[in-house]
Amino acid sequence: MRIAFTSVGTNWDAQIDPRFGRTAYLVLYNEETEQFEAIDNSSVQADAHGAGTAMAQRIYELHPDVLITGNGPGDTASKALKNLHMRIYVEAHNMSLKEAYEKYKKQELTAL
Amino acid sequence: MREIIVLSGKGGTGKTSVTAALGVLAAGKAVIADCDVDAANMYLLMQPEVLKKEAFFSGELAEIDPEACINCGMCEEVCHFDAVHQDAEVYDINPLRCEGCGYCEVVCPTNAISMHARRSGDFFVSTARTGDPMAHALLDAGADNSGKLVAKVKEEAKKLANQHQRDLILVDGAPGIGCPVVSSLAGANYVVLVTEPSASGLHDLKRLVEVLQQFRLKAGCIINKADLNPDQAEAIRSFCFENGIEMLGEIPYDSAFTAAMIQGKTIVESDNQLKQIMNNIYISIQHKINVL
Repeated sequence: MRIAFTSVGTNWDAQIDPRFGRTAYLVLYNEETEQFEAIDNSSVQADAHGAGTAMAQRIYELHPDVLITGNGPGDTASKALKNLHMRIYVEAHNMSLKEAYEKYKKQELTAL
Repeated sequence: MREIIVLSGKGGTGKTSVTAALGVLAAGKAVIADCDVDAANMYLLMQPEVLKKEAFFSGELAEIDPEACINCGMCEEVCHFDAVHQDAEVYDINPLRCEGCGYCEVVCPTNAISMHARRSGDFFVSTARTGDPMAHALLDAGADNSGKLVAKVKEEAKKLANQHQRDLILVDGAPGIGCPVVSSLAGANYVVLVTEPSASGLHDLKRLVEVLQQFRLKAGCIINKADLNPDQAEAIRSFCFENGIEMLGEIPYDSAFTAAMIQGKTIVESDNQLKQIMNNIYISIQHKINVL
């Protein structure tokens, strides 16, 4: 499974970023290879509008199996992501990536 | 740290007056963030002392280099916004019309057109008259509010809350349901809705509640001028009840509301019936965010 997190930082102790489009980082974790990668999303800060759809596009290209985030994508991005048949978990803000991942394993996260 | 966002859907419901009153009641505990930057007027009630001011850039603006321009007119032809004009044989961009799409830059055969970051207003860090830190912004005429600017105001408010060890960020959000509103909702713990008993008040409240439900945010509602239209007020109460939105209180129409505004004060700073009502609303909100 490849799991994507919206994150304010670049390691397991970083908090989940509640924002979808304007998340500071998108972290990708590959459970099979244990590869952990943080993708800087700061370029989106320069965009006045359309941050949510830009992130949906990015996720479409990366195509993770699971997304763990906070408030969740907005209406437009949600519609776009539906076609990916990806599992999306929300309300993981106020947790670190590690806590969110553990809760995901125990199936304690809120599914969208 | 808790973030309360005050929204209205419809403009003119008294949202900013209510936010400022909450700001006065929360004095010493809060950071105030004015994200309603199209009509930034929180500063009128908070009379902040500006500590830091910086220019804010958003979007792009085309610029024609007259040296490289050969007056072919292709830019004028493709511009959908009628922003390119020929004046004394020289082509020029009207910055108020330019949307920054960059079409002219693409078609220009001599690369005379370049896109530049557009200055769209000022961003401030201040101390409100309550003594609390305040992050706010003011847009230039014709500039539009954006998710980007709201994100910046909120980010600065968070930094201020950490610096000054405040637990509460009180955000005056933008009207409507567009990009600036969505941006202001990120990370919110609770949303306070301020509406009025009118057809458009209820209509815009419904649209806004749809957005809040998308993000699964908890919200409470205040009906301002509640006694002006009992039928509409009742329609709002039922709508809120059906959608799991708690009623936080109702403010009757009272000239004290306007009188306070004219003096640059909030309704909790003079002796009137609204003061106690606002106090009770503040206590309910405190209760809501403590049990969240």
